[in-house]
Amino acid sequence: MKKTLGSATILRTGPGTSIQDQGRTMGSKFGIPTSGAMDQRSFQWVNHVLQNDPSDAVLEISQPGFYIRVEAPALISISGAKAVVRVNSKLEENPSLLSLQKGDILEIGQFLSGSRVYLGIKGGFQSAEWLHSRSFFAPLTGQSMLKKGELLSFRTLESSSFSWTQAKPRWKTNWFEIPEVEAFKGPDWELLSDKQKEMLLKTEFHLSKLSNRMGIQLEELVENRLPELPTNPVFPGTVQLTPGGKLLILMKDAGVTGGYPRILQLPENSISQLSQKNQGSAIRWVLKDF
Amino acid sequence: MTPAYLEITPLLGELVWEESPSDELLSWQLGYMTQLETQFADQLLEIRQGFTRISLVWKREEFQKEFKTSVSELSITPPPLPEKIWEVPVCYEGPYSPDLAELAKLKKLTPSQVIQHHSSPIYRIHFFGFLPGFFYLNGLPEILQTPRKAVPSLSVPKGSVAIGGAQTGIYPNESPGGWHLIGRTPISLFEPSLDPPVWAKVGEQIQFKPISVEEFESWSEPLFYLKKP
Repeated sequence: MKKTLGSATILRTGPGTSIQDQGRTMGSKFGIPTSGAMDQRSFQWVNHVLQNDPSDAVLEISQPGFYIRVEAPALISISGAKAVVRVNSKLEENPSLLSLQKGDILEIGQFLSGSRVYLGIKGGFQSAEWLHSRSFFAPLTGQSMLKKGELLSFRTLESSSFSWTQAKPRWKTNWFEIPEVEAFKGPDWELLSDKQKEMLLKTEFHLSKLSNRMGIQLEELVENRLPELPTNPVFPGTVQLTPGGKLLILMKDAGVTGGYPRILQLPENSISQLSQKNQGSAIRWVLKDF
Repeated sequence: MTPAYLEITPLLGELVWEESPSDELLSWQLGYMTQLETQFADQLLEIRQGFTRISLVWKREEFQKEFKTSVSELSITPPPLPEKIWEVPVCYEGPYSPDLAELAKLKKLTPSQVIQHHSSPIYRIHFFGFLPGFFYLNGLPEILQTPRKAVPSLSVPKGSVAIGGAQTGIYPNESPGGWHLIGRTPISLFEPSLDPPVWAKVGEQIQFKPISVEEFESWSEPLFYLKKP
């Protein structure tokens, strides 16, 4: 079938909606962060369900009250946070795969569990690529969020009859709801005293309100008398111990280098898990060996 | 200056130097970077450089395991550092140097002494980080080294020239920041539509050249170095 470009209009959105994909690795030598979907696990799942290319771009939505109207037939998959999803005001019990017709309005309502919804579309959302990625990052893409009234394009099929023979998959959220978060020892782990290490692993930490695409700060303090270190590389998932004793978990839009001790390094799955946790959520670090 | 190799995760590790940042260490780092980019290009997803580390992201776990056992056998020749010096115009006056007077007072210097101390050395670019186009410089005179502000500013203007700890640098874009703002440059440091998006290379040098408010305000070429070959 011939592929053409369809479009969709954002009718309403809260702050924090953006186009995201796997992110970029080519720009770090110029100081450009990785970016990309905060929750790569959910991002990969929608593209898998849609049989998309693994790098096709999706919408990352972090507030309820999101309405989008498709101006052409579209196949949609939703994962990430569990939210109330309606099509033309009708509740969709399992939104993992939705076939929309021209003019249909899809609504992401109340978030029941988790904090970021991923909305994928067959063929992927199209927007300008910078260093092989469509992920929004203002200094590169000139835009950090999508706004009401914006028109998005996606690759679509001319016919509205999609064939889907498999059973509809069901998205589960228990993996991000558990408090245990796996972490590797960071490069500066050995600078910590035995007391600090013990505290880190025994304390129940809570996510503070300081949480965005650059990083998540935790509430509880860890006593810190470590010296200031030379600035060295950091990555999404690097956990830094700040001079004030706060733990700062670097996320996808964090800078590529930092000067605070890098005490933990999270695997991708833990980054996905944390990006679905809300302010006040409790976590416990579980050291992972390899 | 042979580094150790530290595995951090099955796919991430770093070359570790215990020495302090210096031209000599940078030269060794550049030697390793070149070797990694040629010999291991198809095995590496990403390389990131800092003052005393080079971080490596591997495509597969076995690549890192093999590298760990063979890293000590690499034969590295540290290259001579580039001689290029970029002159960066900086207005250290009026509204463009909001923290200069206070920093001078703290250091028991006059503002013009601070300007003199800041604009006479030649600084070495070690790597890019923090923000797109932000280069980390080595060479700030000890007399100007000042702890970061206790309360960071919510918005530092693009082009601000600042001092934080033992560092000096230029904010390529508007951003929050905790450094003391002593001047501003009218030239752009990062232009995403150009390839490369920055004008200077790691290893090259920077010298700040004081300009007046009039020169700053009549500067007509923000892309200055970026446009030039």
